[in-house]
Amino acid sequence: MRRGDETEPGLRPRQLFTEVPVLWQLLPQAVLDGLLIGGVYITVALGFSLAFGVMHIIDFAVGEWIMLGAFLGYYLQRWTGLDPLALLPVVFAVFTAVGYVIQPVIHRAVSGRRGNPVLMGLVFTFGLMLAIRGAGLTVFGFFSHSIPSALSARSLFLEAGGLFVTVPAIRLFGFVYAIGITAVLHWVLRRTDFGLAVRALAQNRDAAGLMGINARRIGSWVYGIHVGVSAMTGVVIGSIFSISAQMGGDYTILAFFVVVLAGMGYLAGVPWAAFLLGLVQSLFLVYGNPSYTLLAVFAILYLILLVSPKGLFAKGV
Amino acid sequence: MSGLVLEAVSAHYGDVQALWDVSLSVAPGRLVTLLGANGAGKTTTLRTICGQVKASAGTVRYDGREITRCEVHEVADLGITLVPEGRQLFPQMTVEENLLVGSYLPRTRANRKRNLSRVYDLFPRLAERRSQRAETLSGGEQQMLAIGRGLMQEPHLIMFDEPSLGLAPILVREIFGIIRELHRQGLTIFLVEQNVHHAIRVADYCYVIENGRVVREGAPLDLEADPAIRQAYLGL
Repeated sequence: MRRGDETEPGLRPRQLFTEVPVLWQLLPQAVLDGLLIGGVYITVALGFSLAFGVMHIIDFAVGEWIMLGAFLGYYLQRWTGLDPLALLPVVFAVFTAVGYVIQPVIHRAVSGRRGNPVLMGLVFTFGLMLAIRGAGLTVFGFFSHSIPSALSARSLFLEAGGLFVTVPAIRLFGFVYAIGITAVLHWVLRRTDFGLAVRALAQNRDAAGLMGINARRIGSWVYGIHVGVSAMTGVVIGSIFSISAQMGGDYTILAFFVVVLAGMGYLAGVPWAAFLLGLVQSLFLVYGNPSYTLLAVFAILYLILLVSPKGLFAKGV
Repeated sequence: MSGLVLEAVSAHYGDVQALWDVSLSVAPGRLVTLLGANGAGKTTTLRTICGQVKASAGTVRYDGREITRCEVHEVADLGITLVPEGRQLFPQMTVEENLLVGSYLPRTRANRKRNLSRVYDLFPRLAERRSQRAETLSGGEQQMLAIGRGLMQEPHLIMFDEPSLGLAPILVREIFGIIRELHRQGLTIFLVEQNVHHAIRVADYCYVIENGRVVREGAPLDLEADPAIRQAYLGL
């Protein structure tokens, strides 16, 4: 194993002197890329799944929270000169507060005497998405930016049996970040009274109220955490790829894919579904036609839902 | 007056009126039952008390304080606990986690360990199954868990909604034995039942509800002697 500081991230060394056919040479890299990016998709979908599980809100604005977080990271970096990864806690705190404040508005739109709360939530967050995107285009413009981190220019090379893989350090960070967030969220849900209340609300809303759980306050915190994690993930994405005011849509679609595949509101399925998405995307990019990657992804989702209507991993409800 | 007092309470589900001028009271330390057939308004009465349904007219008071407009979690914090119809457990949580949710309220958290061991003493079956998921319990065990979870809330007034529903006769006797024991320990109890035979035997005072209206009230012996009640509810 050696280190190369000048290598462009994502560049695949193609070694033609070995016996291994080129397409096979690309496989380890494709699988690794898929797993690394799948990690980031976990954090794109976790909050989305939690918000649905607890409040039955399908949050179509998830991609826009990612976009807004990314731009906050971008501007903070320009003003402070700090590494974007050091700014993650700030972005999380700011957007948790934003989500906490906005949730009661969404709650008002979807509850009370409305006939179909899930649909109302969908329409409302769809409107929220359009409003944020429009405002984003007005304020941030059409151009793409990047939020370079000190890690962005570094890569690790691994070699085994004539096969090479490149591991861009920033993608490795994204993966570790995602696993870390997942572990923390898991711990909070399993080991704290707040987590107990969140799970109680998701499993039986009426009974949770009888236990003295304030559904609105817990709902605000859940939405706050969802928005905070999404925004923070936006910064990580911005230091891996690039950011623009229109970036949100893609991530909303990907979050939707992961959550449906995992089983709506079923958190434990999210990591596996996210890895599967990363792998499918990455393999199709190498062995298929990149223009049709999303089509392939959704064709697979369609086939899976034909066989298993509640998603791949959902147990029970 | 202390305890629970309902004065001329009406309640609606949408346009349908479910309760008409219901007045009743449960004094501290007593065991009062509300008897009635399916759909008579028993569950609605309980839901109105605990804030799940908002009364459209009338007042609900507890220890002199008006709670008619209180939120569900606020009523729970006052020490009014409902053991709901159909258990309403958290199905994917373990037995112990269900009990821990019962002591979510800050005023009970300090006593969590003590309350937990009390519940396990009262229901040794729950102790045996503490790490089992609630949805895997039998009907009787689920009812015990629902009661245990309610006791974790350190209630002053505990309300039971059809605790005997769907249980085998031997378990019905066991559940009523526990209700009687809780009463003996000084808990105020409001019991809603279809099983009039059992309920009338444990009660200090009874109300009968029909079509959303309280039609009769009195001491258990008076009600048992009433020919109309005997025919309608006791099948005698």
